[in-house]
Amino acid sequence: MHSTSREATGSLPSVPTLDDASPFKTMMASFDEAAQKLGLGQQEYLLLRKPDREISVSVPVRLDDGSFRVLDGYRIQHNMGLGPFIGPLRLAADLRLDELRALAAWMTWKCAVLGVPFGGAAGGITVDRAAVSRGELERIVRRWTASLVGDIGGERDVLTPEMASDEDVMAWALDTVSAHERSTANPAVTGKPEALGGSAGHHDAVAQGLRVILRLAAARSGLDPARLDVVIQGAGVVGGNLARILHAEGHRVLGLSDLQSSLYSPNGLDVPALLAHRAQHGHLPAAVPGAKSLDPARFLEQPCQVLAPCAVANAIHQENAERIQATLVLEGAHGPTTPAADEVLERRGIPVVPDILANGGNVVVSYFEWVQNRTGFKWLGDVVDARLRRMLREAWDAVGAVQQEHDCSLRTAAHLLAVKRVAEADRARGLYA
Amino acid sequence: MSTGTAHASKALQDELNPFLSMAKGFDTAADLLGLDGGIRDVLRMPDREMTVNVPVQMDDGRVKVFTGYRVQHNTLRGPAKGGIRFDREVNIDEVRALAAWMTWKCSVVNVPFGGGKGGVICDPREMSRSELERLTRAYTVAIMDILGPDRDVPAPDMNTNEQTMAWIMDTYSMHARRTTTAVVTGKPLNIGGSKGRREATGRGVMICSNEALKMAGLRPEDTRVVVQGAGNVGGLGALLMYREGYRIVSISDMYGFVYNPKGLDVPAVMAHLGSKKRLEGYAEADYQAAQPGPSPQLELDCELLVPAATENQITSLNAERIKARVIIEGANGPTTGVASDILDGRGIICVPDILANAGGVTVSYFEWVQDRMGYFWTEEIVNSRLEQIMVQSFSAVRATAERYGVSLRTGAYILSIDRVASVYRMRGISS
Repeated sequence: MHSTSREATGSLPSVPTLDDASPFKTMMASFDEAAQKLGLGQQEYLLLRKPDREISVSVPVRLDDGSFRVLDGYRIQHNMGLGPFIGPLRLAADLRLDELRALAAWMTWKCAVLGVPFGGAAGGITVDRAAVSRGELERIVRRWTASLVGDIGGERDVLTPEMASDEDVMAWALDTVSAHERSTANPAVTGKPEALGGSAGHHDAVAQGLRVILRLAAARSGLDPARLDVVIQGAGVVGGNLARILHAEGHRVLGLSDLQSSLYSPNGLDVPALLAHRAQHGHLPAAVPGAKSLDPARFLEQPCQVLAPCAVANAIHQENAERIQATLVLEGAHGPTTPAADEVLERRGIPVVPDILANGGNVVVSYFEWVQNRTGFKWLGDVVDARLRRMLREAWDAVGAVQQEHDCSLRTAAHLLAVKRVAEADRARGLYA
Repeated sequence: MSTGTAHASKALQDELNPFLSMAKGFDTAADLLGLDGGIRDVLRMPDREMTVNVPVQMDDGRVKVFTGYRVQHNTLRGPAKGGIRFDREVNIDEVRALAAWMTWKCSVVNVPFGGGKGGVICDPREMSRSELERLTRAYTVAIMDILGPDRDVPAPDMNTNEQTMAWIMDTYSMHARRTTTAVVTGKPLNIGGSKGRREATGRGVMICSNEALKMAGLRPEDTRVVVQGAGNVGGLGALLMYREGYRIVSISDMYGFVYNPKGLDVPAVMAHLGSKKRLEGYAEADYQAAQPGPSPQLELDCELLVPAATENQITSLNAERIKARVIIEGANGPTTGVASDILDGRGIICVPDILANAGGVTVSYFEWVQDRMGYFWTEEIVNSRLEQIMVQSFSAVRATAERYGVSLRTGAYILSIDRVASVYRMRGISS
């Protein structure tokens, strides 16, 4: 857990900013387009664009050597029209406020598209998890949480894990909120260990969601949804689980990559063997018989029906977009396609299933966890699966209807739907005071 | 009102007071249950009445003070539940009576609520949208301490709607500093409303009709139906009954009624009403404009009559001439107490309002449940659970009526009062 966390954290600052496209700019470009298409007035636009609240706290922490350090902590709450806020707690030394703002807004749109009754939030602490001890980290997380008691909680703002903030972090946050509120505050946090009220199906929720959306998207692209040839970038929680699920269902995974290796075989890879190797060694094998080990830069350009970038932002950019040989792109990562690449793919007639629709599985299951905590009743795994399928299918249908109405890309349609739903809720609730 | 109250005698005026009718229902049932004076008083008097005077800044800058009420009649079975109305005629007596009505209604369908009602004296037709919003918010803040998902859960009523409920939810949530969708029901879908709510009362009427037909030994396809009212209850109820195979021969709106003894194409009638805003002019039926006095529509040849418009439609003036064998009270208090006795004497089966139109409060209850857990049901699930509750309630009312040898109306009151009284005995007096 800790080694993969370090790897993920490490990859954050080194995300290449080709096209000068930060995820924030990518998101705002889609939002602005949607707002314009919907004809939002200037003040309505501002209401949706600005976060409702930005809270900044100082996080002093006693280090194991007896000295102390003062860290910065934040919580951005973007829009509460549809319900309580929900969003990740990000632990990163080079945390940027703008990034959190973008993430919070992103969560708002994502929840709205998926039909879960939340607004978006994002928080963070300026700490490199790898550079502090477990005890120090626990004190940091508890102090940050205590500073925000009153602003977070099951009906105010729900915390979710992200990269470096894992189950343990969520458990500490939950314990801190509960202690302050003198009651068990399980719904205040999702992504908890199952023993503390976590939901079945949380660990591979993103991959399960991608699978549901992939079937629907493939059918619409004229592909056989029962037998697909797929290239997956990333072999971690998202890409690895997706590869496992698709392989088990009888699809062919032609390509699979991680930071060490980029493997491709036109006849399909032996996914269980590759994942077993990765589980044992922490990375994919450098080479396997019958498969090519590719230059990572060329990996995404291999022939396939479905290309699923599930690793980093900006993986598909203006330089490689012309060379993509897929019928369909399924965004497992956040913002893997730059706006410039989006235009190229659209011109080439390659549909892109956008992140806010495709990788929403974990948000939906987080929502399910919150529901289960509120009722105190735990759902069986197949109930979670069936309800996840239903919610994603409804989201897919709703986005499809908007796409038909506005004759636009799926990404624009998803943002249109999201902005429309939030604007409608804001309008219904009116301006308080 | 079309019954000509201005010239009515004192006896007729009393007959036309729906709250006296309800009090009569209560007393009859309480007598049959042998309730002693103490319990009777507990159940008759409201637990709590709140009067508030709220200042609202009007668009022209003047400040106007509005008087509002919230009455919680009884909270033994759960939080108070009931609508909020905005009307010039609102007065504490009426609010009090309507709150009691809600207690019995919630109890008949066995949803875990007591009864409440609220109202603000105002003329919504003369107020702008912003003024209404400010009034709603000010009233909400004024009664905030007695509201809440576990205290008192309002709903729309006369001149209030889902927009009003959205303002209440927003105001309460902002004050409580937490999202509290379960504080009101009848909200828009995107902020915690329930699927199936709009047609819930009409669906309940349809389910009651199905059950009542079994009592009368009729089948839907042999049943000619006259529906008074074409709104959420009458119109949607007629549509659902049409789909169920009933032959709807007449529907009315406030301007008149259409009649076709061979049966109306209800979807076409509703489409006409939707585009023309009135029934007049629908080609495939005869039309008769409304006149003062009892409506001749109610006296048409039919098996089933659904008064789903307003109170006091079946009175001592026309009860003898009703031809239907079964009456389903879609509206509140459409039959006066005197008329009710006449109908009983003639052997007409009358499904009383507190059962027949309880589909609305039942789905309100579903909305509250969904909001409390944060998980929302599909329309199929809402409808099937509504059917289950309505069918169960109908058969409980019927069994009670048969056990006591009384009408369905008295049976419904006995059942609901007994449920509240037995909770009172179990809970006791708290301090």
